[in-house]
Amino acid sequence: MKIAFTTKGTDWDAEIDPRFGRTEYLLLYDDETKTLQSIDNREINQKQHGAGPQTAQKITELDVQLLITGNGPGGNAAMVLEKAGVRILTGYANLSAKDAYQRFLSEK
Amino acid sequence: MKEIVVISGKGGTGKSSITAALAYVSDTETVLADCDVDASDLHLLLKPKQRNSKAFFSSEIAVIHQDKCTQCGLCEQVCRFDAINFEKGQYQIDSIACEGCGYCAHICPESAITMEIQQDGMLYISDTRLGKMLFHAELRPGAENSGKLVASVKNSAKHYAQQTQIEYILVDGSPGIGCPVISSLSGANLALFVTEPSQSGFHDLQRVIALATRFHLKMAAIINKSDLYPALSEAIGRFLQEKNIPLLASLPYTEDFSKAMVQEKTVAELNIEYFQTFENIWKQILTIMGDRK
Repeated sequence: MKIAFTTKGTDWDAEIDPRFGRTEYLLLYDDETKTLQSIDNREINQKQHGAGPQTAQKITELDVQLLITGNGPGGNAAMVLEKAGVRILTGYANLSAKDAYQRFLSEK
Repeated sequence: MKEIVVISGKGGTGKSSITAALAYVSDTETVLADCDVDASDLHLLLKPKQRNSKAFFSSEIAVIHQDKCTQCGLCEQVCRFDAINFEKGQYQIDSIACEGCGYCAHICPESAITMEIQQDGMLYISDTRLGKMLFHAELRPGAENSGKLVASVKNSAKHYAQQTQIEYILVDGSPGIGCPVISSLSGANLALFVTEPSQSGFHDLQRVIALATRFHLKMAAIINKSDLYPALSEAIGRFLQEKNIPLLASLPYTEDFSKAMVQEKTVAELNIEYFQTFENIWKQILTIMGDRK
């Protein structure tokens, strides 16, 4: 399964960015191959509108199945993710990606 | 560092007046971010002295490169905003009408149209007479507020609050439930709704609550001008109760809000009663945030 975290940095110690659309990075973890990859999303700050749906599109193109984030996506972005079958977990703000993943595992 | 976002759905409920009063009573605990950029009014009450300013580039406008244009007219046909006209022997963009959608640039067979970013306004960081910083922006006429602009204002406020270890950012949000409001709620900790007992006030409150619920934020509400239509104020109170949203205060209509504005003061500066009213609201906010018992 591919998991995406909205983060403020590029490794496991990075803090979860509570924002979805304008998150600085997406951290991708594949729990089958155990590989971690980071995607720079900062160019989104050049977009005037529609940051949420565009980040959502990026996530669906990356073939992500689970999203771990803070406040959560807005209406339009959530619709894109739901249609694509991405599960959304919110309320992980202020944790590091590592701690967020541990919490996800413990609550699974 | 936490963000408190004051929003209303409907405009004109007293949101900015209340934000300014809370800024006054919260003293050194807050910095202010005015994200109601279309009608940023906080500066009227706070007499900002600009410390820093920066040009803000955001929206795009279509530009026709006449040397490449073969005058096929396709751009004029597809433009939904009638922003492309044939004048003086060439196709020209009406810069006011152009919405920057990019359809013409996409469809031009000669690639003679490019989208170019334009300056929409200025971002400011200012000292205020209250001894706290204000982060705000000014748009050029015709430019619009956007998620991007709100994010820029909030980010500079966040950066400053982190560096100076100020605990709270008080954000004056914009009316509505669109992109700028979504951007102001994104990353926030508490949404404070300022509503009024009018049909549109109640209706827009419900819409903005639905939006904030999506972001899993803590919420609280203030009914302003509550005595103008007591029955509706009661209905709003019941609605808030059903939603489990604490009502922090019902403030009766008073001309003192306008009086304070004329004097370029916040309401909390008018007299000790108002100061205590807003101090009480601020304390309740801190309790809801889990920061004070």
